[in-house]
Amino acid sequence: MQNPVQNTAGLVVNFAELLERVENDHELLWDLLAIFKKDFPRHRDSLIEAIARAEMKQVESSSHTLKGMFSNLAMTRAAAAAAHLEQMGRNGERAGLEDALAHFEHELASLLPELDAYLKGARR
Amino acid sequence: MKILIADDETLSRKLLEKILQRAGYDVIAVENGRLAAEQLCQPEGPRLALLDWMMPELDGPGVCREVRRRRKLSYVHMILLTSKESKEDIVQGLQSGADDYLIKPCDPEELKARLRTGLRILDLEEKLVEAREDMRFKATHDPLTSLFNRGVILDLLGRELARTYREKGCTTLLLGDVDHFKIVNDTYGHAAGDDVLQEIARRLLASVRSYDFVGRYGGEEFLIVLNSCNATFAFARAEEIRRAVANIAVQTTRGPIRVTMSFGLLSSADWGVRPLEELLHETDAALYASKASGRNCSSIARPKTSCAAQQLPLHAPSGRTH
Repeated sequence: MQNPVQNTAGLVVNFAELLERVENDHELLWDLLAIFKKDFPRHRDSLIEAIARAEMKQVESSSHTLKGMFSNLAMTRAAAAAAHLEQMGRNGERAGLEDALAHFEHELASLLPELDAYLKGARR
Repeated sequence: MKILIADDETLSRKLLEKILQRAGYDVIAVENGRLAAEQLCQPEGPRLALLDWMMPELDGPGVCREVRRRRKLSYVHMILLTSKESKEDIVQGLQSGADDYLIKPCDPEELKARLRTGLRILDLEEKLVEAREDMRFKATHDPLTSLFNRGVILDLLGRELARTYREKGCTTLLLGDVDHFKIVNDTYGHAAGDDVLQEIARRLLASVRSYDFVGRYGGEEFLIVLNSCNATFAFARAEEIRRAVANIAVQTTRGPIRVTMSFGLLSSADWGVRPLEELLHETDAALYASKASGRNCSSIARPKTSCAAQQLPLHAPSGRTH
């Protein structure tokens, strides 16, 4: 597991911030990440579906939920990507939605392996 | 202290729940605004709440509005959790009735500090309510006996008479006076006299039903309103109350003192619509008839409607003491 040493805004998961948030309770952190692993695919699917149908209210709502989950877990970059999608959904901005989704997926591509590595290393 | 967390996101709910449990709170967690409002509007519901802004069924500001509208008896301190940071959003949240807001994700120390502020406000509110209730009690009750004071018992009597007239029911006024109370004060002192009045108040209250009213009318005079009391039974009730005072000596700081009371009574079935002052005057006249006929007895007032007021002492006193 990597520890943050420099620019935290660029981190996939800011574990220092995350541990502070859970008051250094590693068991709680493990539980939260397990909840994330379980709930995340449903919200991601919902977002992808909403984008495919251009249902902007649903884009806003799903992105908002994902943003909340990422923020709670100090997944800064993914949270920023979800916030961008939420903003587009709120403003009804259809143009650029696919690009924003691609960026979001790109962030997930680096996030999910890091998360799996943590869960493997921290298995109870 | 009970606290409610309302958040539709499981992860966020779990995180808050754990932090607050660790801080000693008794946590109730719900996943939508409707459930939050139901919990918070219960009389014994939580008085501290953390509400996510965006929730299904009812959003955070909606919960605040509903709680402010429905829960009147005790204050609920509500904090909105939001990722909205614009001034307009914050103003809108606070205008809905929220007391505070926190930007998500929350820092645990800041969250606990804000909740401590909430607890201080609730504590202050409890003290204010207590002081208000204390003042209300003092304004409506006699300080020595804790019975209703004269103003309140007359007000209650007026309302009861109006209701009785409307419903064609029956109410009985019972005016009682402690016999030879001046002698009690002169012989045993005012402290013992106060003991006597306090004990009489307790016995009068113990002798009536929960929906009757007892008040201190004057120095050693007491007014009892027997609601829905049939005229046929009113005299028997008056005698029961009189005996409750006369039968057992009052224990005072100067030893046991035997006291008796005289009563005048008037039942509404006899009088029709009459001014309160007239009714009280006639009840008072019946009380004086009891005094005149030897004390420690009850007399029924005869209403003025037929001719002049007259009172018939119906009970010969026995075993009189003071």
